[in-house]
Amino acid sequence: MQKNEGKGFIEPVTLDDVLKPNQLFRHHRASKFGHEFLQYYSFKKGFLNLNNGSFGALPKAITEAYNELTAWQEDNTDYYYRIGFIPPLIGVREQLAKLVGASDVDEIVMVASTSTGMGLVLRNFLWKSGDIIIRCNTTYGTVYKTIQYIHDTTPGVEISQFELLFPTTHQAVLESRAGKNTLTNAPQGSKIVAVIGSIVANPGASMPWKEMVKISKDAGVWAIVDGAHSVGQEPLNLSTSGADFFVSSAHKWLNAKRGCAFLWFSKKSRDIMLTTIPTSASYVSPGPERPPTNIISQFQYNGTIDYTPYLSVHFALQWREWIGGEAAIQEYCNKLAREGGRRLAETMSTQVMDPEWRAGAFGDGLFQVNVVLPFSKEFSATYDASVSTALRNKLLSQNMFAVTFYHRQLWWTRVSAQIWNEISDFEALGRAFVSICSDIVAEHENAHIPPESKAESFYSYLEHPFQGAVAYDSKDGVGAHRPVTATAVVPVGYHTHLASIRP
Amino acid sequence: MAEVKTLHFESNPPPFGHEMRKCFSFDPEYINMNHGSYGSLPSPVAEAIKPYYAMAEANPDLFHRFTSIDLIRNVRERMAKFIGAAHTDEVVFVPNASHGLNAILRDFIWEEDDIICSCNTTYKSISKTAQYISDIPPHPEYSQFTILFPTTHNEIIENWRTYLQSLNEARARSAHRLGRRPKIVAVIDSIISVPGALLPWKEMVKICKEEDVWSVVDAAHSIGQELDLNLADADPDFWVTNCHKWLYAKRSCALLYVPKRNQHIIKASFPTSHAYISPKKRTGPNFVEQYEWNGTLDFVPYISASCALDFRAWLGGEHVINAYCHRIAIEGGKRLAQILGTEIIDQDQDFQFTLNMVNVAVPFPATMSSDFEIDMAFRRKLLIKKKIYPAFFYHNGKWWTRCSAQVWSQVSCLLHSYFPHPPAGSIPGRRF
Repeated sequence: MQKNEGKGFIEPVTLDDVLKPNQLFRHHRASKFGHEFLQYYSFKKGFLNLNNGSFGALPKAITEAYNELTAWQEDNTDYYYRIGFIPPLIGVREQLAKLVGASDVDEIVMVASTSTGMGLVLRNFLWKSGDIIIRCNTTYGTVYKTIQYIHDTTPGVEISQFELLFPTTHQAVLESRAGKNTLTNAPQGSKIVAVIGSIVANPGASMPWKEMVKISKDAGVWAIVDGAHSVGQEPLNLSTSGADFFVSSAHKWLNAKRGCAFLWFSKKSRDIMLTTIPTSASYVSPGPERPPTNIISQFQYNGTIDYTPYLSVHFALQWREWIGGEAAIQEYCNKLAREGGRRLAETMSTQVMDPEWRAGAFGDGLFQVNVVLPFSKEFSATYDASVSTALRNKLLSQNMFAVTFYHRQLWWTRVSAQIWNEISDFEALGRAFVSICSDIVAEHENAHIPPESKAESFYSYLEHPFQGAVAYDSKDGVGAHRPVTATAVVPVGYHTHLASIRP
Repeated sequence: MAEVKTLHFESNPPPFGHEMRKCFSFDPEYINMNHGSYGSLPSPVAEAIKPYYAMAEANPDLFHRFTSIDLIRNVRERMAKFIGAAHTDEVVFVPNASHGLNAILRDFIWEEDDIICSCNTTYKSISKTAQYISDIPPHPEYSQFTILFPTTHNEIIENWRTYLQSLNEARARSAHRLGRRPKIVAVIDSIISVPGALLPWKEMVKICKEEDVWSVVDAAHSIGQELDLNLADADPDFWVTNCHKWLYAKRSCALLYVPKRNQHIIKASFPTSHAYISPKKRTGPNFVEQYEWNGTLDFVPYISASCALDFRAWLGGEHVINAYCHRIAIEGGKRLAQILGTEIIDQDQDFQFTLNMVNVAVPFPATMSSDFEIDMAFRRKLLIKKKIYPAFFYHNGKWWTRCSAQVWSQVSCLLHSYFPHPPAGSIPGRRF
């Protein structure tokens, strides 16, 4: 942009040419982690953000970079889309390849989200009767349903569901996994494809995914790793992981702009990938004329999108270096998750999912912690979507947020520890939950909750998520039954609305 | 319910022509002749959406779980009215037209002897999508309808009818053999990309109905260029358009229209949403819910479509904008053809194929190769060296250039692409 003014022609540029030198990096040292760090973010004043895990948070400096990248895009759009974005995008892929231990830049392609990447892989397999897909009860909703969709639309494709019940240990999971008959049960000529979460969403728990990949590969099973939360939270070395595919979101823990994830595949697995979705103009039909790297060309352009989120990774990596580097971030957040979780449990008089943080346990190395919410056992006996809604609504009305979820007849909160958080945040959350939960119990007694809102478990609710969605009116304590449809948005209580449609 | 704020403007808009460039953020030396490919974002729209980005960062959970969903419903309602859909719930946002068309084509349950057809002029990624569907089991047949310019709307309509009838004859033979009736799915452009030409798509959709053929309309270029859209009237089976092209929304933003009667065809969004319900367990449509959340994206481009409509209203509204662009396209195209000593592809005296894009033959000798390398040469010589670039394509034995006329265009732009300092009466052929 600056480089090409007044020249009458266009020179190729790198991203560092396009972006103005960031004054922050040049003239300041980053502050300490903790509340001082809030100055670098754009949160509303007083907003207590304990949920980086869902949507990430964009530092101000990267918002600036994003604005400059957008201006570059509008400067000469034809140049950008036909020529300009290509070298920087390859550069970003190279940087990511290095970060995650890929052996080659062509093992990494950019996708819009982990849901997209997982969908791309699962839909590229040519499914036939006799094939088996392995998922867990805790597989993330979009992936869980992608598998459901494949089962529903391809006769004879079976789903084998592996139950994960927390708390448990890595050891217990591996033992039951290795013993699972399914791994050797596929009919001749069929394939088994396993979807393995590296870090589960609800609860926020790290899995012994590398060992699970090994068990899968030893049994001749395809291993697709849903690593949505991994990059920026755990160190990765994908070329030695043994996995066939790995997908992770850069906009969660890596500070990139939303709408940015990557898909990694080993060279062997690349042959599964026939087409992007949407199919690219550079698609070549399978056969001797198709170059082995055709899928890489397809990923380069397959429909007009905004490449800026992908390109923002370049700047996100510089930001992370400037604030202290991966190891420093890791140390701070993991320590805070442990201590904060303990404090939160104390404040609510409940317990952390894995109080001892044993090695090989699910919190190890993570920035997230799961703590039981102060509801009675009786109240928690069955799942109720209206309680889920009420928890979210009430948290937001108090200018704070952490994820809440239902698992094994208990309500939990999953809390993200980030570099702007401190222990006092966990205490504040705990106090809020104590009053929120007792309010919900009091209101729930008099509310008219429709039966469809209840289910034995969250997972059985997920079969028909919309039937149970209700707007929980806590204003007058007499919750009216107001079913939510796609266009009927009903103002409820102290803020507009509706059951969040995201579980 | 959260609503997208209406844009208000303090002053009058600049006049159409070069002064309108004030409302856009182009490099001052760049002459934008190819709005049609990627669109252009007006500066007022870029400014108007900044508060939504600020909201997304002020409280990401509130924005993504609640506010953005509300806002997008708001915009969908507005867009549904704009395109004349019968219901808001027949319209959802998708990232781009290719994405929407893939969602439709991939979700048909394909069977052996089904036929998927497109045209030789269908946008390449869509014909490749059809090719891919044919490449994988159960290998439905991929058939192609041919349109060669110069031609007329009437000729195309007649040929289309004949073509579908011949497909029906083939289908009858298959049905007899199989004991069941295969389906035929046709992809029809409303406005072809290259050449940039308006087709008689509504008549072609009617013929599809007569011949029991599914009509999937690739209307990527329609919204903001084709006036007075009324989908409830035209009644295609499916229709997809890009808002970031002629409507001035932020990239990337498109609409997928599926009338209620066909929503069962689209079983799953891509990616599949957690709101997906197995078809045999459904008690109603499961369409809008899936498109409301199926992965984290930047949702602000969808919101920008509303801001774009406000900006266009400020410029004078759809008829005023398109009357100007259309006039420039015709006058500029005629002038360019005159200087190059060639012709406009639209030979119809009423220019029934031409809206805001005009296609003029490049004065190459008849033996010039159709190689992709020629397009690469144009990129080097024009886009990089002279900062101007209309699209180039090869059709029916000739190279053509497609120029997009926009609110900042003037006839002189079209000439500038070949002559920075137009010499009077020179013969241009040798320059290339």
